[in-house]
Amino acid sequence: MSTSGTDLVVETVRDILTKHEPFVLSRERPWDEGLWSVLAEAGLTGVGLPEEAGGSGGELADAVAIVATLAAGAAAVPVAEQLLVAGPALLAADLDLPSPEQPLTIAVDGVVTAAASDDGDGPGRFTLTGTATDVAWAGVARHVAVLAHGGAGPVLALVDVAGLAATHTANLAGEPRGSLVFDGVAASGALLTDARVAELRARYALARAVQLSAALEQVLTWTVQYAGERHQFGRPLGKFQAIQMELAQMAGEVTAVAALVDAAVQALDRGESVTLAAAAAKVRAGAAVEVVAKLAHQVHGAIGFTQEHKLHHLTRRCWSWRDEAGTEVAWSRVLGAGLIADPDGLWPALTHVV
Amino acid sequence: MSTNSLTLAPAPRSEAAEVVRAEVREFLAAELAAGAFSTHVDTWLSGVDPAFSRKLGERGWLGMTWPKEYGGHERSAMERYAVTEELLAAGAPVAAHWIADRQSGPNLLRYGTEAQRREILPRIAAGECYFVIGMSEPDSGSDLASIRTRATRDGDGDWVVNGAKVWTSNAHLSHYAITLVRTSAADPANRHAGLSQLLVDLSLPGITVNPIRILDGGHHFNEVVFDDVVIPADMLLGEEGAGWHQVTAELAFERSGPERFLSTYPLVAEFARRVAETQEPAGLAALGRLSARLLALRQMSLRIAAALDRGELPDIPAALVKDVGTTFEADVIDEVRRAVDVHASLDAPDPLGRALAEAQLHAPGYTLRGGTNEILRGIVARGLGLR
Repeated sequence: MSTSGTDLVVETVRDILTKHEPFVLSRERPWDEGLWSVLAEAGLTGVGLPEEAGGSGGELADAVAIVATLAAGAAAVPVAEQLLVAGPALLAADLDLPSPEQPLTIAVDGVVTAAASDDGDGPGRFTLTGTATDVAWAGVARHVAVLAHGGAGPVLALVDVAGLAATHTANLAGEPRGSLVFDGVAASGALLTDARVAELRARYALARAVQLSAALEQVLTWTVQYAGERHQFGRPLGKFQAIQMELAQMAGEVTAVAALVDAAVQALDRGESVTLAAAAAKVRAGAAVEVVAKLAHQVHGAIGFTQEHKLHHLTRRCWSWRDEAGTEVAWSRVLGAGLIADPDGLWPALTHVV
Repeated sequence: MSTNSLTLAPAPRSEAAEVVRAEVREFLAAELAAGAFSTHVDTWLSGVDPAFSRKLGERGWLGMTWPKEYGGHERSAMERYAVTEELLAAGAPVAAHWIADRQSGPNLLRYGTEAQRREILPRIAAGECYFVIGMSEPDSGSDLASIRTRATRDGDGDWVVNGAKVWTSNAHLSHYAITLVRTSAADPANRHAGLSQLLVDLSLPGITVNPIRILDGGHHFNEVVFDDVVIPADMLLGEEGAGWHQVTAELAFERSGPERFLSTYPLVAEFARRVAETQEPAGLAALGRLSARLLALRQMSLRIAAALDRGELPDIPAALVKDVGTTFEADVIDEVRRAVDVHASLDAPDPLGRALAEAQLHAPGYTLRGGTNEILRGIVARGLGLR
């Protein structure tokens, strides 16, 4: 899809979001089912996934734009996991894509073993045993793509989780992040090479980085807007130099994250190996959260520290997303180790990342 | 969206840039192997080596984007970006020509007379002619509009200059100073009016260059004193009274390049060597964090190079790069110190301790030169619509 096509997709998602304000997530209402239905009906939950596999077609840039727009809107739907991580991983492993109208998520943590079945179902059938932890949208997603240990190497399995018990734990924003217990569950699956596993983890990290980048930019926009509206000492906050310095620092962080995340997405689009690019994007985005969320709350004052103001919908997500899909420390080590392992030396390695 | 003035389109990939990058790498490896230079921190101000500058000129790596008729090579800003960042990453001695190639040459291209261009630009591109920034004064740092160096017309229409400029890096071995002077009385209602730029030949009578030592004892700073210096009338650069506008454009060139985040890269490289030896998880993580910041800065700076190739002059994004980049340059010191056991000393037996010492003693300059980070954030705030 062209740039104008991507713009159109973004406009469509923004229009939809105006009718679906973010709300405080709870155990009773852990996601925005109404929003998901509208997105699914519009075909937006299959963008970037090929039509012949049941998706809506379109390019990676379109899927990324949808994920970014939804992240900026604090939309409680598993679109990042479906469009950027689980969907592409299933297709890369030659597994069937479930209907994009039903939410699909990804499970890469915990200990799950996949034993090849001899139940007569033929090759590609496995029996899953163990517990997947920190599963985004556990209890909400209908299907989960599970990264498991197989006898012959890593296995990606697709499980219909209807009826499976999920623990009701949540991240700092209330988004479901539970465990799923597999007690001899039959599933179709495929062996993955180590490179495919690395790609899967990198895509997950990059998806969170895309979300962080969009959310941080929105937080900056809200904060600049608030500084223009809120008056103290007879003038808008934004007229005070002390506040201007803080907002400029936030802008620096937001711009740095966007530049690196965009470059990493482009590298993925070119089909390059993006483990180090995704690591860098995730680490940089996480580091920016420290500055941007802190200063956004500082500028917003006490009202931003309450559920009466919208700011928390994004700052709480940012505080969680930076930990998810691999923490900053974990990805920092991956990046550091990957760079010094380059036989050409550190500088050439850096210029190869993106 | 309010951040629009800060956001630039992603830089396209440049195959030409990768080609010249490989050439520069090969050249630098050979020079290092031959002992022609040794790697140091902050070499774009402190690493003076005219012979090295001439070698770059011979290879066509100075004046890269300028028209061929003025000794340039009509290559893209993306190619120039690749060349400059390779030189900085190697800690090569590029200070002699740096200012002339980066900002004085482009300034002459915009505002110089045809005679000035024909005479001076080919010499800059050859690595033989060096420039000084004549902006700050003893009483005028961030508040540039308050400068007091005056130029008055004599009976022949020539300029007579009196005053002093400071922090003039490498004035003691440079040929010209593009000097901001007051050419009409200060107007409190319009502080930016009445300023002009003069192209000053530093060998003229009446000019005294006094050294000012920086913290490690090194000498690149100077005070340049003008005592009734007669500057020929045709050495006015651009328009009389348009100095503020011209300086602002010049600063945009000054602020966006890779020297705004690679000044301490040689320390990062030494740190990486240490981490490679120890493989300590904390060291790997620190290297990863630093690298992620550096990679983001590269992309920001590349976007500006691409914008320059499109004919834009993105002053606000440039201010942003310099703020984020120079903050990073200084933060490298803190990250390294927290991650490994090392003593900073210029006499340290290990290269990491020496690089750390050089980086530390130069550190206060990173976030001051070319506009303090507070000034830069003010510019960014204007971009955010707050001023």
